[in-house]
Amino acid sequence: MKILIIEDEKELASSIGAYLTGEQYLCEYAETFKDALEKLSVYVYDCILLDLMLPGGDGLRLLEEIKYMKVEAGVIIISAKNAVEDKIKGLQIGADDYMAKPFHLSELAARIYSVVRRKQFGNSNIIQQNEIRVDLLAKMVYVNEKEVTLTRKEYDLLLYFISNKNKVISKNALAEHISGDVADMFDNYDFVYAHIKNLKKKLAEAGSGNYLKTLYGSGYKWDI
Amino acid sequence: MSKLLNRSLKTFIIYAALVLAGSIPVYYVAINILWKYEQLEHQIILTPEAGREDRLLIVGAVTLLTVLFFALLLTGFILLNRRISQRLWQPFYNSLAKIKNFSLEQNKAIQFDKTEIDEFAQLNQSLDKLITGNIAAYTQQKEFAENASHELQTPLAIVQSKLELLMQSQQLTTAQYNIIEDALKALSRVSRVNKNLLLLTKIENSQYMEKDTIEVQELLANLIPQFETIAAGKQIILTIQVQAAVSINGNRALVEILLNNLITNAIRHSEAGSNVLIELTPNSFIISNPGERSLQTEQLFKRFASATIQQPGTGLGLAIVKQICNRYGWIIQYAFNNGRHVFTLHFVQISF
Repeated sequence: MKILIIEDEKELASSIGAYLTGEQYLCEYAETFKDALEKLSVYVYDCILLDLMLPGGDGLRLLEEIKYMKVEAGVIIISAKNAVEDKIKGLQIGADDYMAKPFHLSELAARIYSVVRRKQFGNSNIIQQNEIRVDLLAKMVYVNEKEVTLTRKEYDLLLYFISNKNKVISKNALAEHISGDVADMFDNYDFVYAHIKNLKKKLAEAGSGNYLKTLYGSGYKWDI
Repeated sequence: MSKLLNRSLKTFIIYAALVLAGSIPVYYVAINILWKYEQLEHQIILTPEAGREDRLLIVGAVTLLTVLFFALLLTGFILLNRRISQRLWQPFYNSLAKIKNFSLEQNKAIQFDKTEIDEFAQLNQSLDKLITGNIAAYTQQKEFAENASHELQTPLAIVQSKLELLMQSQQLTTAQYNIIEDALKALSRVSRVNKNLLLLTKIENSQYMEKDTIEVQELLANLIPQFETIAAGKQIILTIQVQAAVSINGNRALVEILLNNLITNAIRHSEAGSNVLIELTPNSFIISNPGERSLQTEQLFKRFASATIQQPGTGLGLAIVKQICNRYGWIIQYAFNNGRHVFTLHFVQISF
């Protein structure tokens, strides 16, 4: 899958690219408004990461162009501004998601995964990973065709792991993912343990392999 | 305190009254002497009764006339004084009214009226200089805070992404991983402070102006679930008592932040096993949690007053709470009652 990263901060763009490249993504970069337009008119992408503050033009204008060109790709805005108006405006114009800098790379990967799936697999959105099957529309999980009942948070965590497979994810990133804005006001992320423990137990009981590994004591990895 | 105009008038009146009161015996003595002289000259001899009658008559007439003139003089004084002073001090009152209505947050300079009087012109000029300077300093401070926070977001994002990439390295030892995680933790604290600073400046810069009618009990019902996992993780019992439905006017995002901050604080500063109580009464939102001793009330709502190494908050949560309350004229109060920290948010506007 191809991703276009429109970001003028080279270092940030290269980090994102390095994180995403490898598993299933191929990343290309654009640093300016013009650069981005040229690439978009020639190539087809599955997802576009768009920084709102670009040299040579406002990112929101570029978004309008993208929509005008009827580009199919999902668009995720990444902005340093974190202004409510920008977020609303961006989503109104047609962006699929909005992320404020700074963000966790794993969170970004999860959002990209979700946007791409939504765009491409509209009606039969099923993830199959060995014996695990996730029905994204019904929000159901099956192991060997047997239904596993997960809580909302456990389900969210499972998707997060699947969209970040083979990556080390910190407890911090997981906490922020399942508790949203509230989590970053706390320094104790122990509540994440309980959810992960339960998820692991439920999957194991249903007969799934042990994909969820604990690393270095407090990191996690969906090893597949 | 008395008004400027009344002050001079009072002195005038007292002085006039004294002079006039003093003049009564003088008139009397003078007229008496004249009368005696006339009597002698024209060899008029009066009976003692007639003499007494005359004296009474003179005293009466003199007093009456004096009082009459005093009244006349007084009314004249008052009227003249009022007119002259008003005209004289008008520019001063004009300027005063303008300064009274001035507020730094509105960011609007004052246009003083032109005056022909040198002293007042000088006063206006100095005020103008002072106010313009203040506005410039205030704007600069606001812009600095906002720009600085903005400019920091991108480098913060870069550092975070690099650390998370480093985390993906194949041959990391646990010790190395822990170093990365500690760095990420500190970094997330910096991001939090930065985010909150940006929020504060945005509130000060009069953003988030849209208003909604908000049902507080509904908002609470939406907010509480996010805290339940964290509270449960700390073995804290969250109790919510809604005694009345409360409807308020305000910006939804801001009110959410306000309640979030209060709830977060209560949970964060509670020991495991304790209970956090949230009450909603017709006019107020009350949140309490157990504590050992009272907090420093005067420092509580100031920026960075509370952050310590033991309690790694941003030190901005309550400053934001205060700022939001200020905008809507709500009152936030802290008290330490029966071993509990109690924060009360009064939604009623109290006029001063």
